Amino acid sequence: MKHGPQTNSAKNCPGFSNFRLVEFSNRDILIAILAMIRPVTTENSASQPATSRVADRKTTFNRLCWCGAAGLILLAGVVFYYPAAAADADKSEGPPVPKMRQSDLTPIPEAEKPVSAHSPYLDGDCSLCHQNKDPKNPGAIIKPVNELCLDCHDDFAKVMARKSTHVAARVNCVSCHNPHNARQPKLLVMESEALCLSCHTAISNLVATATVKHDALSMDGKCVNCHNPHAANVEHLLTRLPYDLCVGCHGKDGVKDHDGKVLTNMKTLLAENSEHHGPVSDKDCSACHTPHGGNNFRLLIKAYPAEFYSAYDPKLYALCFDCHEESIIKDPKTTTLTKFRNGDENLHYVHVNKDERGRTCRACHEVHAARQKHQIRDAVPYGHSGYMLKINFTQTATGGSCARTCHVTRSYTNSVTALVSQKTAAEPPKTN
Amino acid sequence: MKIFGSLRKCSGVSAERRHLKSNGLLSLGRIRRLVHLAAGMALWSLSAFAFANVPLGTVVENVSLPSLAAGRQNLLSDTNVSVFIFLKPGLEHSNQATVQIAECQKEFAGKPVHWCAIVSDRIPTTEVEAEVRAAGLSMPVLIDQGDALYGKFGVVLHPVVGITDENRRLVAYQPFAKVNYAAVIRAQIHHALKDITDEELAEALNPPAAILGGKASVAHRYLRLAEKQFQSTNYVQALSNIQKSLDQNPTAAALSLRGRFLAAQGNRLDAAAAFEAALKLDPQDPAALEGIKTCNSARP
Repeated sequence: MKHGPQTNSAKNCPGFSNFRLVEFSNRDILIAILAMIRPVTTENSASQPATSRVADRKTTFNRLCWCGAAGLILLAGVVFYYPAAAADADKSEGPPVPKMRQSDLTPIPEAEKPVSAHSPYLDGDCSLCHQNKDPKNPGAIIKPVNELCLDCHDDFAKVMARKSTHVAARVNCVSCHNPHNARQPKLLVMESEALCLSCHTAISNLVATATVKHDALSMDGKCVNCHNPHAANVEHLLTRLPYDLCVGCHGKDGVKDHDGKVLTNMKTLLAENSEHHGPVSDKDCSACHTPHGGNNFRLLIKAYPAEFYSAYDPKLYALCFDCHEESIIKDPKTTTLTKFRNGDENLHYVHVNKDERGRTCRACHEVHAARQKHQIRDAVPYGHSGYMLKINFTQTATGGSCARTCHVTRSYTNSVTALVSQKTAAEPPKTN
Repeated sequence: MKIFGSLRKCSGVSAERRHLKSNGLLSLGRIRRLVHLAAGMALWSLSAFAFANVPLGTVVENVSLPSLAAGRQNLLSDTNVSVFIFLKPGLEHSNQATVQIAECQKEFAGKPVHWCAIVSDRIPTTEVEAEVRAAGLSMPVLIDQGDALYGKFGVVLHPVVGITDENRRLVAYQPFAKVNYAAVIRAQIHHALKDITDEELAEALNPPAAILGGKASVAHRYLRLAEKQFQSTNYVQALSNIQKSLDQNPTAAALSLRGRFLAAQGNRLDAAAAFEAALKLDPQDPAALEGIKTCNSARP
């Protein structure tokens, strides 16, 4: 069963009349304006009295003025509004999709075995969708394409009521699906990843150029591992919030990255450590990680020092400073930026802002979760044998202390008053 | 924990317990109220953090700060819900948040919501003005001199949104998120305005999964196709597609359609069996009820 080549072009197929919701030609606009400014003539004007003719002329003149003004407003609307409205029609969530795909929707040759086929096509029931029953001459489709699809796939109305919808699904089901049969599952017009990336070119370029790869993009369902191609309740068509998606793989033991390094089981880590980093609590892994691949280690979106010690360079902390206040490291004195201060002496500055061997964030803080508040680490790695040296951080109402590890036991108090009274008590009484 | 301690105080759970003790009764209404309160408390715990110095539930002092435009403006409203945003122009997240919050603000036009943004006086005014203009933010921008308000709240992240209710009680704290940020802010404001319930807020914070397809979905499509084929008297294909639907997911609707098909072919005995099977799955299925009545009335 075959019929002639078909495309989803609005010009070729009357069924695609909903392709553009509003489309006026220049001729339509001109006719509308001319119709408005056309002077009104009466059949028996010659027989009318002169006063009546003068009144008529005045009326016609007034009408001309009003219609002219209306025409100008309409013209201005067309000139200024229409391009903007047309641009809006193409706006969608996520990467811009400038044009709908023009797929070849012809059934695949009979000699070839399709991977998937649409039931009405298999049943030879052309007239369910087309004007004619004859497979050799099916004619145009009987309704706009999406209306036709939703006749049977009416459960999709509920799906498309979700908050985040795919423009391709909203506008034209046949952008991705061949309504007859296909060489791919789900009647897809091409292999699923290639199909997505053929429109989402920015992602395609990122995937191609990324030095750090994410295996989620190349395994199992590929894009649909995380995205629902029709609609979802989470932005970017994510089927769940990022954390709930990520732990699908990163919540298991023994998962390896693209280079074979065994990765932490995040579910266990978070269960064992109650103090979670903000984005982790908000299930927003994408706050720090780029899921499609990138150029920073661990798929981090921006630079973050990989080492324990580093000379202070703000560029190294681009990731942290996207959310955290940079002046917490830059200002030697503060009474507002942090509670990790001794009086007004900023201890973040003291630890990090050094020309040599500055402690990086990871020296004291766990990035995902820890047992202590502010994700302060229990211990730091010492040497290459994996030995962990306890930090023994203790928090108090007005400060805290670190027991002898990196340095001798030191305490701090962030209350300036308490610090002054401490110093006064420590000073020997002055004798005259 | 300090945060939950103060929340318990403000949630009214203790008062409810005392009331129950004195009456010694657990009516359905009270159980429902307790469940709602517990759900509300669970919601608070969804956001593990708050301002370092101002936990959720705290009544926030309404301070007046110099405005970027001119004069001074209040941080909060004393009678309406207030949304205040600590911004840091120039930062990528702050820029993204500003654009989304500007959109959000438009959606709440006409609602009793007081909006303002706060920026540190370290940031040049021209930079702030440029970002506010670019994002289309139309709310007072307050200048925090010497980071006094930052210090008072203990703001350590940028950008951060705080929401207070009509009693100036801090009800939400939301740092920037790459995904669903505006949706969460919107839901938190609606919740503060009492437009949505605790359950609706919980759903916005943790949206249901959007899974593809499934057997029920496929079965439904076969059934819809069979209905169309039945209407166009293509009975053979219709029956085949009903069977495919039943293979995927046996439903009363599919069985009663099979009954209608068999009845149309004059096979009343099998039609009645199909209708009875449908009624076993759904005793109220209208097509099956109608079908069985017709079959029974036609019996000699």
